[in-house]
Amino acid sequence: MTAIAHETEKQTMQQWVKKHGSSVASVGGLVFCLIFFTVTTGLKGESIWSASKLATLIGDVIVTALMAVGAVFIYSLGNMDVSIGKQVGLYSTLLVLVGNATGSLWIAILVCLLIAVFIGIINGAAGEVLHMYSVISSVVFMMVLSGVSTIIYSNQGTRNISMNPGINLTLFRQPWFMVLILAIETAVIGYFFYYTKFGKYARAIGANQLATSQSGVNIILYRVIPYIFLAVCLVTASLFQMGYTGAASDSTGTGFEMNVMVSLILGGMPLKGGMKSRLSCAIIGALTFSLLAVGLPIIGIPTRLTFLIKAAIFMIVVLITCRQKGGVLPR
Amino acid sequence: MVQMEKEIIFEAKHMRKEFGPTIALKDVDFTLRRGEIRGLVGENGSGKSTIMSIASGMQPATKGEMFYKGQPWNPGSMVQAQDAGISMILQEANTIPGVSVAQNIFSGHEAEFSSFGIINMKKMKAQAQERLNSFGISHIRAGDPIDKYTFEDRKLVEIVRCVTDETEILVVDETTTALSLEGREILYRLIHKMADQGKAVVFVSHDMDEILEQCTDLTVLRDGEIIGHLTRLEMDAPDSVKTIRYMMVGREIGDKYYREDYDTSHSDEVALELQDVSLGKIQHFNLKLHKGEIIGMGGLSGCGMHDIGRIAYGLEKLQGGRVLRNGKEIKTPLQAINSGIGYISKNRDSEALILNGPIQDNIVLPSIPALEKRTFISPRAEKKLSDIEIGNYRIKCHGGKQYVNTLSGGNKQKVSFGKWTAKGSEVIIMDCPTRGVDIGVKQAMYTLIEEMKKQGKAILMISEELSELIGMADRLIIMKDFAVTHQVERNPDLKQTDLIEYMI
Repeated sequence: MTAIAHETEKQTMQQWVKKHGSSVASVGGLVFCLIFFTVTTGLKGESIWSASKLATLIGDVIVTALMAVGAVFIYSLGNMDVSIGKQVGLYSTLLVLVGNATGSLWIAILVCLLIAVFIGIINGAAGEVLHMYSVISSVVFMMVLSGVSTIIYSNQGTRNISMNPGINLTLFRQPWFMVLILAIETAVIGYFFYYTKFGKYARAIGANQLATSQSGVNIILYRVIPYIFLAVCLVTASLFQMGYTGAASDSTGTGFEMNVMVSLILGGMPLKGGMKSRLSCAIIGALTFSLLAVGLPIIGIPTRLTFLIKAAIFMIVVLITCRQKGGVLPR
Repeated sequence: MVQMEKEIIFEAKHMRKEFGPTIALKDVDFTLRRGEIRGLVGENGSGKSTIMSIASGMQPATKGEMFYKGQPWNPGSMVQAQDAGISMILQEANTIPGVSVAQNIFSGHEAEFSSFGIINMKKMKAQAQERLNSFGISHIRAGDPIDKYTFEDRKLVEIVRCVTDETEILVVDETTTALSLEGREILYRLIHKMADQGKAVVFVSHDMDEILEQCTDLTVLRDGEIIGHLTRLEMDAPDSVKTIRYMMVGREIGDKYYREDYDTSHSDEVALELQDVSLGKIQHFNLKLHKGEIIGMGGLSGCGMHDIGRIAYGLEKLQGGRVLRNGKEIKTPLQAINSGIGYISKNRDSEALILNGPIQDNIVLPSIPALEKRTFISPRAEKKLSDIEIGNYRIKCHGGKQYVNTLSGGNKQKVSFGKWTAKGSEVIIMDCPTRGVDIGVKQAMYTLIEEMKKQGKAILMISEELSELIGMADRLIIMKDFAVTHQVERNPDLKQTDLIEYMI
């Protein structure tokens, strides 16, 4: 009797952890980071709540959060896109080049959107049409875009390009504007993710593609649409990435796809996608990730070590997630 | 010997199991003796599978005690229970894809074939083939990839994996619905052999004929409680079926089960047509399903009837011929659904349902375009639609947000049925629609099918249960080796024995 009761308590606890564990862990992780850095930076005579640090934090979080919000759609399919970083690099470069050439940021944005949507359509459709994991086509794009970047900067004869001072970018450096755009993007993506067929079908495909297909859902179409949402979010993120410094370089965007992945995982996103995918993962994860990026150097951790710490946290979360039944990495 | 048969092998006292707010078992006492083939019957969600899933280590009880061979019993896992002699064969497919039959049979026991970490595959294959042969299923080759075999054959591999010489208690949980006729015979021979050896078998099934033919004792459950036990003598009584049904449902089921009329009239309008269809071994197949007609399609599992259902729904790319609905060709499920066709797949867990998703999301999935207003889908409208189906089918759950993978087999089937009634489909292709469903719900489903006919809906009912085809269809089509061997109109003199010769 006691043995069974003890086992049952353990089982009930396990069920609760299974149901709410990722939410508690992700929110708990963020709260822990907030408290930890408030206390530890205070001991160093600084504060992450000072205006300058908050501005740095928002500047750091905005690009990752804008990308991660769009990537939620892709991860809910059970997919991942490793070309995100190279795409942001290309769009930042094109914003500068086209902006300088035409004198209009709007034309530059339009050009970037067209290219982003094209890449999104190929990335989304290739997996289904060619019967391969979608991540493969994104690897191809990562390589192609890397080559394009090399060609562009070789032709320019420099590794850095700057926006013509005639184009005013001060708005993109304003914290209130960053927060406003993030809020608008989150609200729009949230609407499509939770209240339209695009989000419902994406989660259903991630949970069981065969059953979703037999329920009349056009799998190719509803695999492509999430990539188009991501495309728009990446161009928005590129605007802030480029706008913050008014420049782009051949290393812009490097490693961003990993930042997005780590953020989503820290935010509690189920790696296999499906019905439990949540948009809040993007915001919570990006905030936690940026807190680590901004907070660790303040408390005296050398920059090279902050990468190691972030990598260690990422590995721990992946190991825990993949130990769960049915846990798989996105493909 | 008699003494040995009467010895208690397993006992549960005051067993209780809760799943959140749902109480699956309430203070149940259950005793199993050597030599028994104990039938467990009850409606979906009555707790019959739960008792034995606890005994076989799949999940722990919330409260209570268990004893196995006189010792306190509290298994930590199914592997532990199996090693100790309690094995359970589950309703759904439980083989490991992508590996060989032999690797499936010895899954978890690879160490027996390993030296210095290297598995002797030759030895494993040889022993696996020996095991398969001893069960009389030598047509399955141990070295073949498991995916080569049909669902029914994979189920047989599971049986071989579960049952060893050391197995003392075998739990057969609604397995026979997933087996072909030959497979069932193999299983019946096995359980009787085990009973004769002084072992025990617990047989969970919704098939009353099967229960009455195979079991030595019967326990009836309702709403998580044991309602009563019947001995073999009581099971042989003339009104035993009526008594058992009353015990299961708690009310008079009545004599009406299948359709009582023999009116085969229907509209002349063709609702669905398969014109000269060819695919693989199916050649030049023709079928006309009319509005207000129920066509029953029967045969052995591999006769091609399930393929016809998939073809009619646009799931297969045809080599010849076409599928027509209202003059338009159907080539994809999307075209089928848009033209008012619904399909209930035989492979419920992999094709019909999103197990790792809420009941509500499953029910409304095909209806999403209809719920959409300028891209917006109202959560209230979704809930309303889902709640109607949950109510109509009496799905045992604590709301539409409950995940499907927490439901019993029958309740899952009700969800897959609800998807298409919610959609309001005019043509419904039902592949084994009452698989794993209890008699109370079966009766409700048959009534619903009859209502659909009266409303002018066209139904293609594919089933391995001849009794329900005879009971419900206006026209019966029997298939063998991918071709139609017999067609017959509904009539009161039609018996299963008249049809079996065309199947085998």
